[in-house]
Parts: sequence; structure tokens; C-alpha cells
Amino acid sequence: MTDIDTRTLEREMKKGSAELIILSIVESRARHGYEISKLIETRSQGQLKFHVASLYPLLYRLEERQWLQGRWVEKAGQRRRRFYSLTPEGRRVLARQRETWETFVQSMRLITSSSHA
Amino acid sequence: MPDWTHHLRQRLTHLDLDGGREAEIVEELSQHLDERYEELRRHGSSEAEACRVAMDELVDPDSLVEHMRPLRQAQTAESPTPGMPTGSLWADVGTDLRHAMRGLRNQLTFSVVAIFTLALGIGANCAIFALADATLLRALPLPEAEQLVMMSESSTNSSSGAVSATNLNDWQARSQSLQSVAGFVPNVGSMVLANPDGAAQTVPRQWVTAGIFDVLGIQPLVGRTFKPEDDKAERNVVVLSEAFWRSRFNADPGIVGNDLRLDGEMFNVLGVVPEQAQMIGRASMWAMIPILSASNEDRSDRFLRVVGRLRADADLKAASTDMAVVAAGLARDFPEVNQGLGIAIEPLQAALFGTDLRQTAMLFLAVVGFVLLICCANVANLLLARANARRREFAIRAALGANRWRVMRQMLVESLILALLGGALGLLLGALILQIAPNLIPQDLLPGGVELHFDLRVLGFCLLASVLVGLLFGIGPAWAATRQAPAAAIGSETRGSSGRGGKMRNLLVVAEVATAVVLLFGAGLLLRTLLAMQYVDRGYRAGETLTLLVDPIGDRYPTDASLLQFFDEIERQVLASGNVKQLAWSSALPMGTPGGTIGNAAFDVEGAAAQAKGQQAVADYQIVSPGYLSALDIRVLSGREFSDTDRADSVPVCMVNQTFVDTHLGGITPLGARIAIRTSTAPDAKVTVREIVGVSAPVMARATEIDAAPKIYVPLAQRPTDDIFLLVQPKVGSASALIPQVRAAIARVDTEQLVTVSDLMTLEEIAADATSRHRFRAVLVLAFASLALLLAMVGVFGILAWSVQQRVRDFGVRMAVGATANDVLRLVLRGALVLTVSSLLIGLLLAVPMGRWMASVLYGVSPFDPLTLAMVMLVLALTTLLATLVPALKAARVHPVEAMRGY
Repeated sequence: MTDIDTRTLEREMKKGSAELIILSIVESRARHGYEISKLIETRSQGQLKFHVASLYPLLYRLEERQWLQGRWVEKAGQRRRRFYSLTPEGRRVLARQRETWETFVQSMRLITSSSHA
Repeated sequence: MPDWTHHLRQRLTHLDLDGGREAEIVEELSQHLDERYEELRRHGSSEAEACRVAMDELVDPDSLVEHMRPLRQAQTAESPTPGMPTGSLWADVGTDLRHAMRGLRNQLTFSVVAIFTLALGIGANCAIFALADATLLRALPLPEAEQLVMMSESSTNSSSGAVSATNLNDWQARSQSLQSVAGFVPNVGSMVLANPDGAAQTVPRQWVTAGIFDVLGIQPLVGRTFKPEDDKAERNVVVLSEAFWRSRFNADPGIVGNDLRLDGEMFNVLGVVPEQAQMIGRASMWAMIPILSASNEDRSDRFLRVVGRLRADADLKAASTDMAVVAAGLARDFPEVNQGLGIAIEPLQAALFGTDLRQTAMLFLAVVGFVLLICCANVANLLLARANARRREFAIRAALGANRWRVMRQMLVESLILALLGGALGLLLGALILQIAPNLIPQDLLPGGVELHFDLRVLGFCLLASVLVGLLFGIGPAWAATRQAPAAAIGSETRGSSGRGGKMRNLLVVAEVATAVVLLFGAGLLLRTLLAMQYVDRGYRAGETLTLLVDPIGDRYPTDASLLQFFDEIERQVLASGNVKQLAWSSALPMGTPGGTIGNAAFDVEGAAAQAKGQQAVADYQIVSPGYLSALDIRVLSGREFSDTDRADSVPVCMVNQTFVDTHLGGITPLGARIAIRTSTAPDAKVTVREIVGVSAPVMARATEIDAAPKIYVPLAQRPTDDIFLLVQPKVGSASALIPQVRAAIARVDTEQLVTVSDLMTLEEIAADATSRHRFRAVLVLAFASLALLLAMVGVFGILAWSVQQRVRDFGVRMAVGATANDVLRLVLRGALVLTVSSLLIGLLLAVPMGRWMASVLYGVSPFDPLTLAMVMLVLALTTLLATLVPALKAARVHPVEAMRGY
């Protein structure tokens, strides 16, 4: 993968699988927006970055579709923060998308692996 | 730290987001930018650089707004552009369905209320439709039922006269249009079935001619039905009903061919017929009367009702013409009996169901139809309120390219889903009602063999009703919601927007209340009818009186003297059994003849002007024993009651009622006047001249009689008859407690089981039975009217609560400039008053035709009864007040400052 331009990868990944990425990040527990953007960056080892301009519209859209639920949480001495968690519907969508994605990746690997070359 | 707020707001401003939502987004994005800024600073960026990078990320790689835009358009993105190929219509409808389901789920309370309201309306309609279907629409459950007709002899007096066996045979022989005819005796009598164990059983039996089942097209389940050979041989044969065969003979096919001992004679069982046979009478078995041997002497003996089956190529009109020719021929050939008689012919279905039942079904249909309309209005009201709240959403969608039809369509899909869900629940409700309905419907209302079915027709009706209802209550709100120009809707805040929707909602509520007024008025009239029937002074006291029909079999007591002796013996035995205060005999009972067939007689008054032929005066004719009038507290106005001195060999006497005196005596002093009585209109009927010895007060003997009919009483001793009622009154306790001892007393006289004892009822039970259909009607309509009232009041409450909520700011301003809570209260109440009064006025206007339309089912109450009107007004005023109270008090409690801040 080293020869792929990082920026191209980022654009393609975002286009095709941004939803899957976001849903996976909040799967284990509710997270706020900044946390989500940092986690995407660290887990992809810096390959993928979601900035404010693309992250939030996506979050809001997922919320409108009722895949995510955003909730303001207040903690003593801190500013309130909006945490996003998976709805039951979101959990179902995630499972579906993950399966599709894995099938896709697997077929891509089968097609493009060097042994067939 | 930089303040991002201003910057963010500027970027979001032309998205025109809701104020609260925009603030949230700004807050959340600011936080993100803060954290990003701090992170950059920690990694060594200068303040200016960190600020620049964060801002760059806000606009780069694509603009924030570019990404945000689809948010507001998320729903309209799927809308078709006008002129798109229809291939995508289903996809669009699918989208609409999804959206609608989501919308309804999100507003669960609204949906549940709407669905239940509709279920009530549709359920009631389903059940009543099943009744109307069985009585008005569906053909009789007989093969080619449309070819079946009921025929009777018509004269100037009556259009439904009975037919003699001889004439029936001639009709069959002379008509061109009839394939077959047969007769039956309308009254279902009974026969005593002797059991080996000695306990006789009384079985309902109807006399029919041999062809009856062939004409009706009823096939036997087992064995066969009657054949012409049975008639020729004059055999004693019976056919059993399915239910009786199952209950009495355990559905044993072996019973066919066996003999039953009925009324002391042996009858051969030919077969078993299905329940449809009960349509002509609720009998357990049918016994054949031979008619082929009937001669000219029998021509005046009219006792049959006639059913005919038309030839396939004949219709009712052709048959009428044909039968008119037959009647003319018979009048020419046998003028002394058939002069002036025509033949009336009507479809069997119309004849069996009768106008009363058809009117009842129509009445119920109208009533539940109104209830459904009120349900619709209520749901439309809910939808309007919701549509009002969603006007901005619709307007934005319209601005983004969704055309009006598209938005309306989505609303209609929502309405239809509500209606269908309501319909499904209503279907369950309807099925439930039909489960319990047969127990509530008075037995004499529906002919036997006719059942209420819950089948595909009802299902289809329910579905159709649901769809129509969905369109009906959906289209108004959808129209109202989409009519405002988008710019105006988006620009306006929710607070000032009562607008058109408000007016429409007011109209709906007025319509609802007006409908409720009409229904309540109808229910009130029926209730007053019922009360009038139950509490009207009918001229007799039922008290504690046991009545039973005693019917000694034909040949057992061949002479009048032996019959009278038999009655005397029973009298002695019953009196000896103890606790009997009084005892009397009578050939008819007040309120005891639902069909109104109290015996009657033609008569001439001596000294009065002679009557034209065929115009013979007719009066009710009742045979009674001495003591009958005093037992029932019927007053003797002048002269005397019958006594034991009125014997067979003494001067023939009679009593008449006051109505007879007023109608027929024309100034002749009644006491001592003589009348010539014939018991039938036949010229050869026996004539007895009787002297009037007493005048009684009139008795209203039929349920719907307002003025008593003229009546002649004749003493039993001078005119002995079998088939007579015994009346027994106890000294103490209830009349029904006498049943065992009276039965036992009769059994002591009738040791051979040759006397039919049936119809053991108290006079009060008989009266209750006679008014049962009126009670059924009143109770059902009252139940529906109450439901309508409740729904209408929910509507009133809804509209007032809503308008108060809309006007809180207005009230706040008024109170801020000095209005008191009372002023505000008055303001709301005035609104409610205007609403109520206008509804009442419209309702009253509609109630007038309703009353007129119902006149035929009313008794003892005027169709415009002022008392009923006043009660309806009162009930409505009180309930409206109740519905108004909560919203009004809420308005009065408005706090000016909060009102103006909060909205």
C-alpha cells in the first residue's frame, strides 16, 4: 500500500465507507465528536483523517437516519459534550455493512493477489 | 482561545436551521475547534498558526456548508422531479410508506388515539354491515332465490290475505308464469311427541303442503321430502329440522322411515332438511297437509300463505300480469267466493324480511355511518393539528423542489396507514360484536335460518370503508398543510399560525357536535318510544299472571260439551292445587301476537245502514271465560261482564269495547243492541246474532297500537274453541312459581298425553317480548349516540385546548395590559359558546328531517318531541361545559411574563 497516495486513499475510503468507519468507532461505547476524529486518525495510523467539516455533517446525517443517537452529557466542572452512541437500527446497519465490507475486501484480495498474476 | 462562534454562525446562517438546533451545532463545533486548537498548540504551533489550521480544516477539503446542505434535504432528495417516468412511482410510494411509518412511530400517542378512534367507527360499521348485508343485500340462502315470490289474495281490506287450498291448486293449474307453488300455515303450532318413558315433549311444528321444499329448492340432508304421492295418499308424514334431528335423535339416519307418535297419531318420518327451511317458520318439524283432494266446498277456507317459484323466463311483472288473469278467471268461475279478489305478488325476500326489519337495518346503517363520520372528523382534527406543526417542514421541502402533490401524497399515505390499521383493529371489534350479537337480536326480528356472517363481503366492506375513510380525513389536512406559499411558511414562526387549518378544525368540530345532536335526538326518540310502550296505560294490569296455551287434540273432545267439560275439569284441578286466586280462559292475550293476528270477525249491526259488499266491517274477536276482564282489571264501563249464566243454551250475548261503540254504533245505545257476527268473510260462514250486554274500556293489545281497535268479546261457553290460553293468578308469590303445579293439574286430567301445553309465560314476559325489538333498537342507537357524543366532546376539548395554546401570547398581552383571569376565562368560554350554539342550531335543523324519517318506528312520541329536544340540548350543554373547563382554566392561569417569554 505504500505506493498509494495517502490523500487518494483517504478520499476513496471516506466516500465508500465513512459510515462504516463512524459506526465501528462508536460501537463499543458512546463517544464525542473530537474523540471520534482522534480515534479514526490513531487507529488508521494517520492514514485517515476526518476533519470537522466532513465529520459533523456525517454524524448529523447518521443521527437523522436514526442509526446514531446524540446526547448531551454534563460532568461536574466540565463543559457539556455531545456523545454519540449506536441505536439498535445502527447496530443492525453496522453488522450488515461490516459483512459487505469483509466480503468485498476478501474478493479484492483474491482477485488482486500476486498468485493469480 | 479564539471565539469560533461568530464565524460558525455566519457559515450556517443561510441554512435557515431551527434556532435551538443551530445553537447546539455551534456549541459542538466550537468545542471541537477548541480541542483541535489546544492540540496544535501542544505540538508547538503558534497561536496564529493553530487558529489558521483549525479554521482551514473547517473549510477544507470541501466546504462545511457543502456537507451540511444535504442534511436539510435528506428527505426531499428522494423526491421525483415532475415528469419523471412512472416506473419509479412504486419506489416513491415505498419511500412514503417508510417515512409515514417512521412518522407515526415517532408520534405514538397521536397514532394510537387515531387508530382506536377509527377502529371504533369501522368496527361498528362492519357489524352493522353484516346485519344489513344479511337482510337487505344478500339473496336468500336458497337456489335461484330471485325467482321466489310470496303470493296472497288481495281485497279492498287487505293486500296479504290467506289462500284456500282449492284456489292454490287452481293457481298452479291456470298460471303461465309459475313453475311451482306451495303453501304453508304461517303460525308455527306444536305437537305432543309421546315418549316411551311417558314424558311427553312438545315440539314446534308447522303445517305445509307437499311441494313446499321443492319450491324453496331445499334438498334433504337425509331421506326425502314430501312428494305428490304422499298428498294423494293423504299419509301422516313429517320432515325433521336438522337441529331437532341432531338434538333429539343424535343425528341418527336410521330415524328415517320410522314412525313417531304425535298428538296420539303415528306419523312417518320422511327425512331431514337443513336450517334454511326455518325461513318460513321456526319449527322443529314440518307436517304435510294434503290439498289435492280439496273441493269447491273448501274454497272459502283460507288458511295458507303461498310461495311460488317463477319460470326462468318470467319476471315479477310478467307474473303479476299473469296472476291478474288467473284471479279474474277465478272470480268469473266462482264469483260467490272470489269476487273482488286479486292476487298480490312480491319477492320472497321482501316478504320475509318485512319493512320493519329493513327500516331497522337502514336506521342502524345511518347511525353507525354518522358515528364513523365523527371518528373521521376527530382524526382529521388531529392530523390538522399535526400538519400545522409540520408546515415549515413541508414548506422547506416544497422550496427544495418537492411539488405539492408529492407532499400531499406523503400525508395521504400516512392517513391511509392510519385508516388501514384502524380498519384491521375495527375488523377484530366487528368480529367480536358479531360473536355476541345473535344473543342480543330479538328472535322475531330475523327470520329463522338467516345468520349473520363474518365473511369476505364484510372483510371487503371493511377494507373499502378504511380506504375511503383514510382519503376522507386525510385529504383536507393535506390540502390545508400545503396551500401556504413556502416563503411565508418558512418566514413565519409557529406562534402566529392559526390560519386556515384553524378554521377548518372549527368547522369539523361544529359538524361533529351537530351530528352528535342528530344521533342523540334519534336515540332520545327511540328511548321515549320504548318508555311509552312500557309505561303506557294499555287498559289492563298484567300483575302476576301465568299464561299457557292448552290445545286438546282434534278428536279427543269431539263435542262442544265434552270440550267445556274438559276445561271445567282442568279449572277444578288447578284451583284445587292451592295458592290460586283467580283463573280465566281466553283465545288471545294482550301483547301476545307479534304479527297482530288477533282473531277477527266480520259483523253487521242491526238497525245500522247496510254495508256495501266487500266493504264488510271487521273487529277484533276474542273468546273469553267469565272472570277474564276482572282478572286483568279491564274496566266494565256499562252493563255487565259475562257470568256462568251465559251458557250454550241461553241467549247469545257479547261485549264490545268503547272503541267499537264509538266507531260502529253511530249513536245506537249499545246495551241491548244486536250484532250479526260471522267468523269469516266467506258468504257461507256461520252467522250468529248476539246481544250486547256490556261495554268494556279499550285495551291496547298490540305493541304499537296507539288507539285500541274495535273489539267484540264472546263467552267461551257459547263459542267453545280449542287452542285456548289459560290464565292463572297466584294468591301470593310469583306467577312463574305456579308452573309445576299447573302442569301437574293438567296431567291429572289429560292422562293420555293428548293435550299440548306450551307457551308458559307470565303476561309481563309476553309484554316484554312484544317490545323487544323496540328495546333492541333503542339500546343500540343509544349506545352509538353516546359513543358519538363522547367522540364529539373529545373533538371539542381538542379544539379548545389547541386554540388556548395558540393564544397564550395573546392572553399574556391582555393580562399585561390589565385584563383579569376572569376576562380571559370569559373570552375562552365565549369561543366555546359560539361553537356550541352554532353546532346545536345546525344539529337541530338536521334533527327535523331525521325525526320525520324515523316517524314510522316511533310510538307515543312526536317526531319533533320538544322534551327530547330539550334533554338533548341539556346533555350537550353540560358535556360541552365539561370539555371546555380544562382548557379555559388553563387559559385563566396564564402568567403574562411567561406567556410572552415562552412563545
